[in-house]
Amino acid sequence: MFDALRENLLEIRKKLGSGISAAHDEGELALPAKAPDKRPGFAGKVKVLVTERELVIDEKKISGPLSDLEMALLENDVALPVTDAIIAHVREDLVGGRRRVRESVDEIVADALKRAVLAVLGDGLDLISYIQSHERPVRILFTGVNGTGKTTSIAKIGNYLKKHGFSVVIASGDTFRAGAIEQMRMHAGRLDIKVIQHQQGADPSAVIYDAVEYAMAHHIDVVLADTAGRLHTRTNLMNQLEKINRVMKPDLVFYVDEAVAGNDAVVRADEFNRVVGTDGVVLTKADMDRRGGAALSIAHTIGKPVVFLGTGQGYDDLIPFSPRMIADGLFGAEC
Amino acid sequence: MLDGLGSSLKDALKKLAGKTVVDKAAVDDLVRDLQRALLQADVNVKLVMRLSEAIRTRSLEEEPPKGMGVREHVLRIVYHELVNLVGGDTAGVVLEPQTILMAGLQGSGKTTTTAKIARYFYRKGLRTGVICADTFRPGAYEQLKTLCSGDNIPCFGDPDEPDAMKTVAAGLDALSGTEVVIIDTQGRHALEDDLISEIIAINEAVHATHRWLVIDAALGQQASEQARRFHEAIAIDGVIITKMDGTAKGGGALSAVSETGSGVVFIGSGETISDLERFESDGFISRLLGMGDLRSLVERAEQAMAEEEVDVSSLMKGKFTLRDMYGQLEAINRMGPLKQIMSMLPMGGMSIPEDVCDVTSVKMERYKVIMDSMTPAELDSPSILGRSRVHRIARGAGRSPDEVRELIKYYKIMQRAIKGLRGGGKFNMQRMMKKFGGMQ
Repeated sequence: MFDALRENLLEIRKKLGSGISAAHDEGELALPAKAPDKRPGFAGKVKVLVTERELVIDEKKISGPLSDLEMALLENDVALPVTDAIIAHVREDLVGGRRRVRESVDEIVADALKRAVLAVLGDGLDLISYIQSHERPVRILFTGVNGTGKTTSIAKIGNYLKKHGFSVVIASGDTFRAGAIEQMRMHAGRLDIKVIQHQQGADPSAVIYDAVEYAMAHHIDVVLADTAGRLHTRTNLMNQLEKINRVMKPDLVFYVDEAVAGNDAVVRADEFNRVVGTDGVVLTKADMDRRGGAALSIAHTIGKPVVFLGTGQGYDDLIPFSPRMIADGLFGAEC
Repeated sequence: MLDGLGSSLKDALKKLAGKTVVDKAAVDDLVRDLQRALLQADVNVKLVMRLSEAIRTRSLEEEPPKGMGVREHVLRIVYHELVNLVGGDTAGVVLEPQTILMAGLQGSGKTTTTAKIARYFYRKGLRTGVICADTFRPGAYEQLKTLCSGDNIPCFGDPDEPDAMKTVAAGLDALSGTEVVIIDTQGRHALEDDLISEIIAINEAVHATHRWLVIDAALGQQASEQARRFHEAIAIDGVIITKMDGTAKGGGALSAVSETGSGVVFIGSGETISDLERFESDGFISRLLGMGDLRSLVERAEQAMAEEEVDVSSLMKGKFTLRDMYGQLEAINRMGPLKQIMSMLPMGGMSIPEDVCDVTSVKMERYKVIMDSMTPAELDSPSILGRSRVHRIARGAGRSPDEVRELIKYYKIMQRAIKGLRGGGKFNMQRMMKKFGGMQ
């Protein structure tokens, strides 16, 4: 994941860098008598001011690399509006920016890019410490469109929490899809987790309510509630989700989407966020994709962090996630 | 957001209107907007670049045919290039004995689509059976079996057998009397080498007539690469786009089509087993661009109307009977979901109440059923509908008398609207929509 994007970004960084260093050279030509090292103090400040003025980065110089950057982001599945936001951020940061002379060009560019990405990603969320600091049972609701991997992700997260010493109960709230209850029961059986289930076609709110009641009675730490996948355009299904939300009163709502999703990721994340809110994102199928642009798209759209990353079919293929990790993943830990 | 995109495309096209010579700057504008629209729709970046380059050169170099304006000329080129890319309407579905192998990523909707296609062939009168070769995902067999049980389509599978090859071989034996066999496989992606070799082995073992790739409409830039790998492995000869009832534009599927050199076979447009549609390139393209074209709407409307032979002149005279309304509902049905039609109409910034569209397609179906229970005399002059007639119709249609009355109310609103249209100026779409909404 992120490999392709990282490679592209490295390339862009070089191009941006050469655009800026060209400006840099001109700046030096205009002001040849410049102290190479900088001391603190008034004189130094003046020098910085002088050099800063000479080092204004020309918009023309970077417009080429910026459009390359745009293409690179788009190619890596970062949705168009999000790409625009990142580009605007980088441009604002660079163009006319007063840069200190001693700063290396590469650093300037990498910093600008990283800041832009971090600005897009927002803060993180640590599930373990969240559960520890909140009243039990912690109720977590999973939402998302069809086929993004909600059921599998719940099994994985259940496994993850169990390993961290929490007791878990799963509510099999997907009462619509044929075979979903069966699927959940088998996952949970393998992981030795209690499942609350009704028959197919039952009211999902009731199933989830039962699971919460069960958790309270048995002092279970975490309730993981599955829901049927629904497209955000189905008003009646979205209303049902609203009802589930009302009945369950979840502490956290996790929105599940796949890393391979394109521009639509933004539209549907937004719609789900509008209806039930979102506290975290679980990004699945990250092993399919070396790009991972959807992480940026979704995080930017709803302003909520990616909490977990699903990376395969096994129960241990789950990585807790933080924005800094994405940024470091993209630009390498060195910057 | 998307509406904004569509309108900027329209603006770009407007700049070309009325020009006698193709203006390079205007074409550049148009191409740029087109690129954004396509990228927003998840079409592969390289594909977009190639396409826009072709459109640019053709627009600037080709002489517009006599009598065709510059705008139409460019629009036609855009359209042609896109149709070329999509590969025309529904391809490759023949009603004969065959074996179909389904392939695709996890969660793209293979199992649901398998059941839908089985039902399609079954309904066309072929003996159809399905094999569940998904030995990995728990509940896969139950899911397929439940979906197929509605039509009594035989479904073979063995949840306890870990070897997909054995399941397939046993399945082919068990279903030897059937004409169409559809094999659902486990979701896999192109980077999982052992799973790719498994599907190659299945393909060789069953000598599949068709190998269809199921693509989620929301799949992004990744679609190209996945499709290419699948194509290399088993030579994909058809693409099925699923989840087209959402807001995703399906550009990823377009990349897949171009990568495999095949065409779109079906479109999945809903969760129930009957939600399978044939592919229509026009609608797909207008959705891709986020631009409903009024002209194509009119064309389609005319086409649909001609078959129903609605008497336009009597309509304009203000004689609007239930029979006309029936024809209208039929015509609308044929044009596609109401929401899509509404999005094609140039109604400015007016937004349609969400639930109006949701409910009306169901309602319309009911109205038609009710009208089927009316006598010709009643259809021609609805004013004769009294209490006892209403009750008879309700019984005949299996609906409540209230629903019949609601239909009459709806008819009266329509009649008034048509009258307003004839009167000119008074016809207020917004007001009508309000009434429409209030009725639900």
